[in-house]
Amino acid sequence: MAKKSELPLFLRALLYLLLIIVTLVWLVPVIVALITSLRTNDDILLRGFLVLPKSISLQSFADAWNRGGLQYYIPNSFIITIPSLVLTLFLSSLGAYALAHFRFRGRYFFYFMFVGGTMLPFQILLLPVFRLSDALGIYDTYIALIAIHTAFQLGFCTFVLRNYMMTVPGQILEAARIDGCSEIGIWWKIMMPLTIPSFAAIATLEFTWIFNDYLWPLILIRTAEKMPVTSGLAILQGQYVQDWTVIISGALIATVPTLAVFIFLQRYFIEGLTLGSNK
Amino acid sequence: MSKRIMLSVTLVIVSAALLIGFIGCQKEEAATQAAGQEVVVYNSYWSDPEPKRVEAELMDMFEEQNPGVKIIHSTVAHEDFKQAIRAYLTSSTPPDVLTWFAGNRARFFIDKGLIMDISDVWEEAGWNDSYSKGFRALSTVDGKQYFLPGNWYWWAVYYSKSTFEKYDIDPPETWDEFIAVCDKLKANGVTPITIGTKYRWTAAAWFDYLNMRVNGPEFHINLMLGKESYDDPRVVKVLNDYWRPLIDKGYFIDDPASYTWAEAIPFMANGQAAMYLMGDFIRDSYPAEKVDDIDFFRFPIIDPSVPVGEDAPTDGYFIPANVQNPEMAKDLLEFFGSAETQEFIAKELKRLVTNNDVDPSVYNANQQKGVELINGADYVAQFYDRDTTPEMADKGMNGFMEFWANTDKAEEILGRLEADRKDLFTE
Amino acid sequence: MTGNRLRYNLTPYLFLAVPVLIYMIWVIGPMLYSFYLSFTSWDGFSPPQFVGLKNFIRLFNDRVFYISLSNNIEWIILFMTIPIVLGLALAMVLNGNIPGEKFFKSSFFMPMVLSLVVCGLVWSWLYNPAFGLINSVLRAVGLDGLARGWLSDPKVVMESVIAVAIWRQVGYVMVLYLAGLQSVDPDLISASKVDGASAIQRFFHVILPQLAPITVIVIVISIVDSLRAFDLVSVMTRGGPFNSSSVLANYMYIQAFNNYRMGYGAAISVILFLISLVFILFYLTRIAKEESNG
Repeated sequence: MAKKSELPLFLRALLYLLLIIVTLVWLVPVIVALITSLRTNDDILLRGFLVLPKSISLQSFADAWNRGGLQYYIPNSFIITIPSLVLTLFLSSLGAYALAHFRFRGRYFFYFMFVGGTMLPFQILLLPVFRLSDALGIYDTYIALIAIHTAFQLGFCTFVLRNYMMTVPGQILEAARIDGCSEIGIWWKIMMPLTIPSFAAIATLEFTWIFNDYLWPLILIRTAEKMPVTSGLAILQGQYVQDWTVIISGALIATVPTLAVFIFLQRYFIEGLTLGSNK
Repeated sequence: MSKRIMLSVTLVIVSAALLIGFIGCQKEEAATQAAGQEVVVYNSYWSDPEPKRVEAELMDMFEEQNPGVKIIHSTVAHEDFKQAIRAYLTSSTPPDVLTWFAGNRARFFIDKGLIMDISDVWEEAGWNDSYSKGFRALSTVDGKQYFLPGNWYWWAVYYSKSTFEKYDIDPPETWDEFIAVCDKLKANGVTPITIGTKYRWTAAAWFDYLNMRVNGPEFHINLMLGKESYDDPRVVKVLNDYWRPLIDKGYFIDDPASYTWAEAIPFMANGQAAMYLMGDFIRDSYPAEKVDDIDFFRFPIIDPSVPVGEDAPTDGYFIPANVQNPEMAKDLLEFFGSAETQEFIAKELKRLVTNNDVDPSVYNANQQKGVELINGADYVAQFYDRDTTPEMADKGMNGFMEFWANTDKAEEILGRLEADRKDLFTE
Repeated sequence: MTGNRLRYNLTPYLFLAVPVLIYMIWVIGPMLYSFYLSFTSWDGFSPPQFVGLKNFIRLFNDRVFYISLSNNIEWIILFMTIPIVLGLALAMVLNGNIPGEKFFKSSFFMPMVLSLVVCGLVWSWLYNPAFGLINSVLRAVGLDGLARGWLSDPKVVMESVIAVAIWRQVGYVMVLYLAGLQSVDPDLISASKVDGASAIQRFFHVILPQLAPITVIVIVISIVDSLRAFDLVSVMTRGGPFNSSSVLANYMYIQAFNNYRMGYGAAISVILFLISLVFILFYLTRIAKEESNG
């Protein structure tokens, strides 16, 4: 959509400058994080946070990697996040399709059920789910984490996907049905391709949420070898020693995967997050 | 979007997920299978870099001494451990040995029957002799031992030697001397005391010491146990007559609640402030180039007729009651409590250990001074949030923080704390 | 035709079977269990003891509960209005062909990708009274009076924390509105121009109404997120100083996990749920109406 420029060039340039300034200010916290990761902890203790570093050192990244055991924890994060992500998207697309394009009894009830679950502060579920997992014998396993993440994220994903799927005109589906296509076929061959933008957008958010989750592994995992990167980072925050540079470096390293996903899926965002007013 | 592209993308994603899930399962099996070995699971909260390293070495030592046994050792962040332990103790497969705090925190679980009676280990390992009466008492409930004390540290007022020298100040011993020191520092533009109260316990330290110095450790401990009242005139006196003047006269830095305890160190390191009531672990966080500048003195005596109480929190180990392999668990516990292990910890970590059979000459000058400090005390407390129940500690510390910001509201705040105490301790 | 009909009637249930089952077991079940717990006194270890409404009575007399509640309400108000205004403004600005469009859009969305822990940590440094950037800048331009302990002054601590949440949220709302702007009918806009409507009139009478569905979604999400706010408070202040920045989710966590009062914590989450319920029901009835009309 081309913007009809009604303002004089001078004013537009000024506004553009303003935009740049606002954007840079907006990014200040990120810049601070980067600068801090390049300093040494004693330097911070002596001279405070907001001074330009006297010397640049990548040592903190190395420390975070080794001390934080990140080379073990990051793979664990992926083992937990990817299957959860795939499963929850898959299952919620099934449910969302039903809720979007069928009139049946209980459709608002089920929709409400999914939406209602997103309203709950999940912390209250920690102990009940722990007991459930323990009873099922999956305490201290990846499965326990994958199960709860898949289940819990079904709420939000179903909510978004349903609304997105509703924008697909019913006639397309009817036509396929008349052609003799099975319901699963319709879902797979027609609905899914059309939903890709929405998937991409949700996938980024979900990846971020699941990857950065912290409380579930605390309660459901007992063995260090299975802990995700969030637990590893917490360990960097010692009881008595707080090495800020290492902590922030570790956190930045752990941000790389989510950032990568974000950059990769960026282009699908704009289309994908439309909720009910596209097409 | 071409169907083919969509199909292939989906295939890629699904196979990636399956692959990853498979890798996960493989890791699972490898972790739980110790190929015919016996397995001991140990979870600890020693998450600081040095302790973590030392523990890793200890694990190797144990495995050498016990061939055919594999230790699965997991370190959990210190704060998180307090939440995670709830899962450990109620699961059907708890870890075999856990680190934990002495005092009320351990009692809480002992009273619920969640911790194994290890009196037999104490007996067999001879700890009834090699551990002092104080530590034994700390581990005993109703005549049985449940806890193994491991190491401890002392609290004192740490000060910057160079700042004191600069203004020709000697470490004070009495309260009047202390006030004089503060006045002199303030007159010279130095904030006497630094403190970071974001997480509140640093403020609780001041309450502990002032209360013990003014009213004696017995009253203090009874207050912790809920047997005395928070609005007792003696407590009011502590706040109004001793604590309030310190705050009102500006002896503390500004905005202490903005800083974590470590974030308040720079003020002392760069000379803007001079003293810090803190545990000996301040050395671990002090900038390396300045750590030799600090020394400590005992919290000043207010009333010489009152017995001297000090805070010296003790950490240790216990075995959950429903472990699957009690024999192995006890073996590991014996290992932790042995003179050999304790000496290793003392040397490597410069912590004070609890086993008296350890040769005191392993301690450096600083540690020996600390030991003297505590040996000279009439009573050793575990620190505010370990001596009283977690909930009372939470409310109490909030009360202290509120008082810090509103020094004229002592009676009102203490009144509310008293209502909480009644509510919590008489249920 | 009956075979097809049956297939058509059964299909939604078949599609929903697995997701609903999993959801019931892992979310609804535990949720109902914690609602049950709100009527008990439970320390997490011994068996729960039934105490009826005692937790709720205690809750209604709890000072900190009301502080937390009002903090959540303040969060809702600020978290709803500011990101909508800023997000919409940014979307309008960035909707045209501006050089570096991708850079701007990504910059504003980036905070969303950072974990809340990182955000909380970095902003704590910015807020540091002695060394932090904010106070340093204020002092440098002579506004010393405004410099304060952003996280230690009970009067501003809640707003300071909410500011971080808003900083994260604006990009997200901006993206939602960018999507919405794609579908604003260009014909209507041209028509209104022909009619001589000014830019402002166009905005309020043509564009904004068409963005209404998005605005509703944003409002609902904002309210729900405000009620669930936890991580930032946990990292930056733990609810302090002395409960000034306590929010319900945080208070619940402390009660349940720190103070071993699972039942009481469950009661708090019941109240939280009921409050959210009001908004969700409003949303649901609205779309039910819309969808039966459209």
